[in-house]
Amino acid sequence: MIPFDVTADDAGDRLANLEKQLLTLPSRKSYLLPAFHMAQEYLDWLPRESILVIASHLRIPLSEVYATATAYSELRLEKPEYGAWYVCTGVACEAAGAQRIIDAIKIVPEKFGRTDCQFLCSLAPICTDHRGKILGRLTENRVRALFLEDSGDQQTS
Amino acid sequence: MTSQQSFLKTILDESSKHSIAKLFIHKGTCGDATDIVSVCEKQGIIELAMSLNAEIIETSCDGRCWAAPSVTAQKIDDGGVSYSRRFDRIDLGVKLKELAEVLDLSTVHNVFDDGATGLTSRFGQLDGTFLAAVEHGAYGVAEKVFRQDQKSILSKIEESKLSGRGGAHFPTGLKWRLAAQNEGPRYLVVNAEEGEPGVFKDRHLLEADPHRLIEGILICCYAVGVEKTFVYINGQAHKGIESFMTALEQAQNSGITGPKFLPEKMAVDIEVRAGAGGYVCGEESVILNSIEGERPVPRFKPPFATDEGLWGMPTVINNVETLAAVTTLWQDFPPPTKLVSLSGNIARPGVYEIPADGTLSWNGFLLSVGAELQTVPAILLGGPSGTFVTREKFDEQIEMKNIGAGGIFVLSPNSSIKEITNSLAGYNERESCGECTPCREGTIRLTQLLQQETVNLKKVEELIEVMEEASLCMLGGMAGRPVKSAIENFPATWISAEQ
Repeated sequence: MIPFDVTADDAGDRLANLEKQLLTLPSRKSYLLPAFHMAQEYLDWLPRESILVIASHLRIPLSEVYATATAYSELRLEKPEYGAWYVCTGVACEAAGAQRIIDAIKIVPEKFGRTDCQFLCSLAPICTDHRGKILGRLTENRVRALFLEDSGDQQTS
Repeated sequence: MTSQQSFLKTILDESSKHSIAKLFIHKGTCGDATDIVSVCEKQGIIELAMSLNAEIIETSCDGRCWAAPSVTAQKIDDGGVSYSRRFDRIDLGVKLKELAEVLDLSTVHNVFDDGATGLTSRFGQLDGTFLAAVEHGAYGVAEKVFRQDQKSILSKIEESKLSGRGGAHFPTGLKWRLAAQNEGPRYLVVNAEEGEPGVFKDRHLLEADPHRLIEGILICCYAVGVEKTFVYINGQAHKGIESFMTALEQAQNSGITGPKFLPEKMAVDIEVRAGAGGYVCGEESVILNSIEGERPVPRFKPPFATDEGLWGMPTVINNVETLAAVTTLWQDFPPPTKLVSLSGNIARPGVYEIPADGTLSWNGFLLSVGAELQTVPAILLGGPSGTFVTREKFDEQIEMKNIGAGGIFVLSPNSSIKEITNSLAGYNERESCGECTPCREGTIRLTQLLQQETVNLKKVEELIEVMEEASLCMLGGMAGRPVKSAIENFPATWISAEQ
């Protein structure tokens, strides 16, 4: 999905579409979190414009909508940058060698991030790759192989 | 129900016969993370199954996460009894000849049926259809229970001593009775937020056996007189949400949530809500605020949710596993069980079902899952609000009240207690919602104190006491628990600034 960009040509259309989609939700405060999900699913993040649309549909003061949006860690209030690999650094993954995976990934520093527990402790260490796919029972060799494969893909495409 | 004729039986009678050889591909989150589909293709498993006319079924993880990627081959004889065999770690190779033997109908096998009846008995055996769930016994308990009056159901639940499986272990029967006593409308909130590091059993339940949860919800709705149910699922548990939504739709389309199956005058209304992150969102009053559209922060208690919950009305808040466990209370065996999520220094990490009556010791459990006890200095129970159990105490029985939500992390001889404790403290600091001062400031101070080379244990203890006494919810209240336990159990790790 292409993240919403307010300067793009389709920005107006996407916001209008979001407004239309929001009409399927009852105009009640209880639907604030579902409205956030709806907007984030469609725009990939929650730009200021989407917050305005949500506040007006649910008739909640803008400040309150913002306050609530900032309280959820999975709601994105900034345009996301993709391409990074996220290594889980929960207790089980750390014990299973998350640091070695981090070192292997860090060779390409712009591609690296950390996450808290991803709840796949039984397959530790795990990592979410740049496409959002979860890789379980990861080894340094596999990371290197995947990186090679990926750069190969990019060269051929 | 209008007549005594079993609604479930009519569903089963109308069903067509299945093929007799099946290949189950355990494609849950665990299977996906280990590339099961491409591994199956690479190993020639799909080709083999097709050549033997076996039905290929995508199913969930069966709780044996350590075995992923895995497949189960199954054959059913004329009498309807099945023989099945699981092939583990197929990425490391698979003996196709043995797989073919199970799937090939011309080869004979001794009949094997493990007769499992517990919470995990349907894990990895369903193909995602409603019919498969009913064939494996889904809704059978509800059908029986609906013939009883509410009072006797509440008594049965109280007698069973079932307690909240989210970790607080509040008696479920009492909770239901308290809510039922109050004037309606009443609500049920299913806590499927499961945000505690090291715990993944609710995700497995949602993916592997969502109809068991729906059945538990129906029983609660009937016994307590619930008008509306909200199922609040962790926003990152994509497969769990998908699986539950599909099951709910199936239940609705089949009539299970309508007058054909439900007792007279009973109506069920179930709505799914996805969370959006934050450990604190697993706290029950936070979920209430979240559903109402308020900021996800805890409420003062009392009033308790059974008196004033959602929109000030009586509300039962139950964990996924608690409601699923309700469906097991009317069978003779096994007695109530508890799901545990096992990870760390252990050969077979995964989801296990253990007796909840304190008849199993840590030694017994750890040995049964392949632990080499001499290499296990301790285990950590319950993640960031948990406690350590050292090897000297492994001969003690497993008590529900100590086990929290059932996250068990097995330490290795290389584990650094200090690092683990600091990592848990850091997690609590990041996840504090900031609503109350003792937790917001306390978790930060605690991390700072622990990171010193010589830790001031007296200050740590005082700080933890304030957080325990004064925090608004259990995130702050229990953030000091692993620290206290680490200091108690591993005194040599801590060099006190006081000494």
